[in-house]
Amino acid sequence: MLKLPAIYAENYRDWLPEMLDACLGTLKLAAVSFLIALVLGLVFAICRTSSVRLLRAMSAAYVEIARGLPALVILYIVYYVPPQLMPGVALVALSGFSAAVIGLAIQGGAILAEVFRSGIEALHTGQTEAALSLGMTPAKTMAYIILPQAMRIVLPPVGNYAIGLLKDTAVCSLIAAPELMLRAKDLASSSFEPMAVFVLAAMLYFAMSYPLSLAVRLMEARFGRRG
Amino acid sequence: MERFWQVLAQKGPYILATLLGGLETTLVVAAGALVFALGFGLVIAFMRLSRLRLLRWPAIAYIEFIRGTPALVQLFVIYFGLPDVGLRPSPLQAAIVGLGINGAAYLAEIYRAGIAAIHRGQMEAALTLGMTPLGAMRYIILPQAIRTMLPPITNVAVTLLKDTALVSVVAAPEIMFFARNLVTETLQSMHVYLMAAAIYLCMTIPLSRFVAALERARRAWH
Repeated sequence: MLKLPAIYAENYRDWLPEMLDACLGTLKLAAVSFLIALVLGLVFAICRTSSVRLLRAMSAAYVEIARGLPALVILYIVYYVPPQLMPGVALVALSGFSAAVIGLAIQGGAILAEVFRSGIEALHTGQTEAALSLGMTPAKTMAYIILPQAMRIVLPPVGNYAIGLLKDTAVCSLIAAPELMLRAKDLASSSFEPMAVFVLAAMLYFAMSYPLSLAVRLMEARFGRRG
Repeated sequence: MERFWQVLAQKGPYILATLLGGLETTLVVAAGALVFALGFGLVIAFMRLSRLRLLRWPAIAYIEFIRGTPALVQLFVIYFGLPDVGLRPSPLQAAIVGLGINGAAYLAEIYRAGIAAIHRGQMEAALTLGMTPLGAMRYIILPQAIRTMLPPITNVAVTLLKDTALVSVVAAPEIMFFARNLVTETLQSMHVYLMAAAIYLCMTIPLSRFVAALERARRAWH
């Protein structure tokens, strides 16, 4: 039987600094992709609810395609296809990190576009009309009436997306982005202790994602259930 | 652009046929993992709902830990870690069990929410009428709960189908496994990955349309 505590006691001095350092890579990757996904999601949600049919159709197609693909497929396309399209152009050969950010942001933008759209659509148009007829300016209506309500609807699913994103960064190890899983694989093969290393990686992922999921639950409890 | 069509005409059929060779494994892994998760998830859900701490706490730990870690890590632990303790799962076994364990945690929460959504009075009424707790669950609670649970369950199925792309890393011969081999063989990464993407979309888009339809039907029913 494998004695994990003994293995950890023996190796933690070598493993822990390395793995924690790789956690920073994971967090950086998740944070940068999250910010870009937020912007993409907002833009596509606005397009999706626009009155221009072309914008609506384009963003609907984007959402369906990006949400229907495995993260791995998107990452492979972003990472391997541009260099083949323009061979010799050094600029298009993305580093693992940038390809990972672009791939995750493309997928996240589609997920968040749907979240934001449902947030916008959930608010009755009567709310805006009532606020305007009470003499509020459109900006004030947005700031005091619409956004506070929309936030409540949107924040828990955005938090859930962030948790999913944090876990999806593990897939980026397959395009050699510098993050936790990549380091774990190296360490597993150099130390010949795959079980101990991958279980440690799982614990570190849990340590990063669990506070987030507690925060989401707190928000859900405070804002009441959706729907 | 011209070259794109040239390559497509020359190698397209070969690439497509090879990729479709992985479709069977993709579907077997997705279906196997779903069946595993449906059954195991129900066990976990009942443990989670139990009044006995000895049953409830392990279930909570399982749900929280599995949902808090990436499926890829779970696959690695099963495929590369288990040999350390003397178990050697085949790629297909590791894929089905790995994704099944992952899906079960999500399904347990869906079952729990679905069962909790049925009013307590229903259970009390059934017990008062002399039904056993198990009979009440089977004939009164679950048939009603299934209506609210069906859309999220189908969502888990879609996620599982997409997650099968990950099992190429444990050498299960599914679509992405063949895709990677094809790229080394033909050097046409664009054609290979775009075709793989198209195959996934052919499966996931109809499924998510189906989820949306279920969701609408459920709202109309309420």
